Amino acid sequence: MTPAPLSVENLTFKYRTRPELAIEDVSFELKQGELLLIAGSSGCGKTTLARCINGLIPRSYRGERSGKVLLYGKDVNDMEIPEMAQIVGTLLQDPERQIVASNVFNEIAFGPENLGLPRDEIIARVDQAMKRLNLEYLRERETFNLSGGEKQKVALAGVLTMNPSILLLDEPLASLDPASAHEALQVFRSLADEGKTVILVEHRVEDALEIKPDRLLYMEAGKIKYLGGIEKLPKEIDHTQVKLPAPWVVQRVKGLDKVEETARSHKSVERGEPLVVFEDVDFRYGEDYPLILQNVNLTINRGDLIAVLGPNGAGKSTLVKHAIGLLKPTRGRVLVEGKDTREMSVAQIAKVLGYVFQSPTHMLYAPTVTEELEFGPKNLGFAPDDIKVSVKESLSTVNLTGFDEYPPLGLSFGQQKRTTIAAVLAMRSKIMIMDEPTAGQDFANYTKFMDALCNTSNGAHSILTANFASTLFITHDIDLAVTYANRILLFGDKHIVADGKPEDVLKDADMLLKYRVRPTSLLSLNLELLSKTGEFLPAESLTKFVS
Amino acid sequence: MLVTWKYRPRNTFIQSLDPRTRLIFMFSIILALTIPEIWDYRLILAIFAIALTLYLMARIEWKDVRRIWLFIFILVFFIVGLNGLLSGRGGPSSVTNLPSPIIFNVPIKIPFTDIGWDVPITVSKAWFAITQVTRMMTMTLLALPIPYTTDPNVFGTAFKRMGAGDKFAFTMDLAFRFLPTFARDFIITMDAQRARGYEMDKLKGGIPERLRKLSPFIIPVVMQSTVTGEEVIDAMDLRAFGTKPRTWLKVLTYAPRDYVILGLGVAIFIACCTLKWGFGIGGYFVPDFFSNWILGL
Repeated sequence: MTPAPLSVENLTFKYRTRPELAIEDVSFELKQGELLLIAGSSGCGKTTLARCINGLIPRSYRGERSGKVLLYGKDVNDMEIPEMAQIVGTLLQDPERQIVASNVFNEIAFGPENLGLPRDEIIARVDQAMKRLNLEYLRERETFNLSGGEKQKVALAGVLTMNPSILLLDEPLASLDPASAHEALQVFRSLADEGKTVILVEHRVEDALEIKPDRLLYMEAGKIKYLGGIEKLPKEIDHTQVKLPAPWVVQRVKGLDKVEETARSHKSVERGEPLVVFEDVDFRYGEDYPLILQNVNLTINRGDLIAVLGPNGAGKSTLVKHAIGLLKPTRGRVLVEGKDTREMSVAQIAKVLGYVFQSPTHMLYAPTVTEELEFGPKNLGFAPDDIKVSVKESLSTVNLTGFDEYPPLGLSFGQQKRTTIAAVLAMRSKIMIMDEPTAGQDFANYTKFMDALCNTSNGAHSILTANFASTLFITHDIDLAVTYANRILLFGDKHIVADGKPEDVLKDADMLLKYRVRPTSLLSLNLELLSKTGEFLPAESLTKFVS
Repeated sequence: MLVTWKYRPRNTFIQSLDPRTRLIFMFSIILALTIPEIWDYRLILAIFAIALTLYLMARIEWKDVRRIWLFIFILVFFIVGLNGLLSGRGGPSSVTNLPSPIIFNVPIKIPFTDIGWDVPITVSKAWFAITQVTRMMTMTLLALPIPYTTDPNVFGTAFKRMGAGDKFAFTMDLAFRFLPTFARDFIITMDAQRARGYEMDKLKGGIPERLRKLSPFIIPVVMQSTVTGEEVIDAMDLRAFGTKPRTWLKVLTYAPRDYVILGLGVAIFIACCTLKWGFGIGGYFVPDFFSNWILGL
């Protein structure tokens, strides 16, 4: 009998630098052409499992390992890297850091070059991979200037040229807009259909379910909690822990004995005076550069909960950087509480407007979480007693109470992200701006802090959130917009193409698709029930409207 | 942007050269000036003229290089030039050892004390400063166009074909690949901390205190670089880098024009060595026209 492509037997691993087990007693087997989805919250052991499969453990990451990982019956510990690299191809989470060459052709050729293959064979493999992923048009392009989706495909092409029979994809959708994520998923499905064994490690479970994985492996605290077909998911997996398709959530909530009490509603916030005003704003980085913003007119009012949607690279971050004064308009002006940002320092604007950047590693520096959170308020001249209160409230809001003395850079990615949100929260700004607040976060955690920040749950009020006049978040997660926003800005073609209530903007499916926003099951169900609900609601709240 | 160079394909003689030719020529000139220790302004001016001609032939747009030139001018004129003028060090010993007429004295005083002295500016030091600046500008004129006019994808191959190992050669490729990434991380970090009210230009205190206060900026930048480095190593390991001799796909071939430039570089190197060691020409001296002119002022 031919051995299975991958067999994991009683695998346990503990990093040398950590006291707890990263994964414990994990066992499963994969067949040729099978597509396995691995899900679980931040720090549950998904990445460690992936590292054991592709051989980075124990080669690059030291620790204590027991159990076995067998590739076609052979233990990975007994294999050399070139042999392994031709069996398991790994696509890492951030393609920006995976791409090592300056141009697309060289990047895709990198692996076969390392194997010392003849030139003709390398070129044939590169051509084949480019054709397979429709990348011929990028052949001579510089890798640095590619969009997120293009980078992901180029990185995948680089993996495919090694001709691996197993593909290990570590959160490949994390930085992609919905349309790019959809395209990437279709490619993964077709690769599995062609006979490759595909392991998809992903937070975005609902998106991944679209390509019908053969099985789901759900992990909690380093152990397998569920391994089986996706048809049993509504029963087996808690919908508050993993984001499931809306009809499944409704089905599950209906099946529960008790009435759902966590239903959220936020639409009662009233709009007030203008806080930030964009007047005819144009922006370009230099005389020779193309316009990024063109004729942008926008007013952010008290009471706004704004979701900014749009494709990768459209200029959404450039837009919000104007609000905080990090960028100044080439034409037009931006007013914060009536003052032109050209006449204000960034520090002055920071008193009004807090901005959480996308990547936590761009912000975190302090030896403890407390000191990290004190940094902003100290810069803004808060009194020591106020700083203490702010820090405490902020930690509680993002569910990090008890982590006060931890080093922020030693926390998991999800915890780091929440630390950065708390750090800005502690500054007690009137407006909170967040760039991709849920990227790399598990559903349970981001639901909690978004509830708190958007004042959508009863227990969320605090002196911090009560201070908020407005919240704005840039996101690719359309369900986040459906659930938390009372206003949608759709950004594309250098300006705002739609601005209005979610119920008005998100009903135009053609326009959404044009700007690479793909409707989700939650949006579809909300649109279907809109005549009954009168507003968009989270999946649990829709239950009572579904007969 | 922090990284200001921008490679653009241009239809120029310079960009039609093999990258190895340009690197070898640059090293030849640097070695020609340094190994036989050429300080004779006539030789330096001749080589400067060649370097300037090649620079102009590269047809790099002024707007692309004005910032870096400003930085170089400050470095070369104010640091190297002033150092040469005041101390006379960094060159041949004859600048300071041989007697030379004093043009004027610069009074130096330690702040808040009565301790002070006069630094004599001699004719020899003044000429040395001019010579030193010209030498540095010659080397700069040869080195600066290289990143602007060389396809970043061929650096690795060029070094490999010049005899470097796979790892060293690919390090050159990696440097050019990741410099824009590091520059972007640098700018984002600065923006992220400014958005938290951090104002770098208002830091107060002594140097150690200022360095400590720079930590909100330095630590994230270092962390980003470290994380990137680790991930890049993982990515390269997973694609079997360094496990066996690799195939370098890019093929470089010398054309007749490359041999002309290589010949010129080697000829300059041999000529400088021969003149200095064979005929004693090329050492430091102050020309009479300069002495007469400056003392007559």
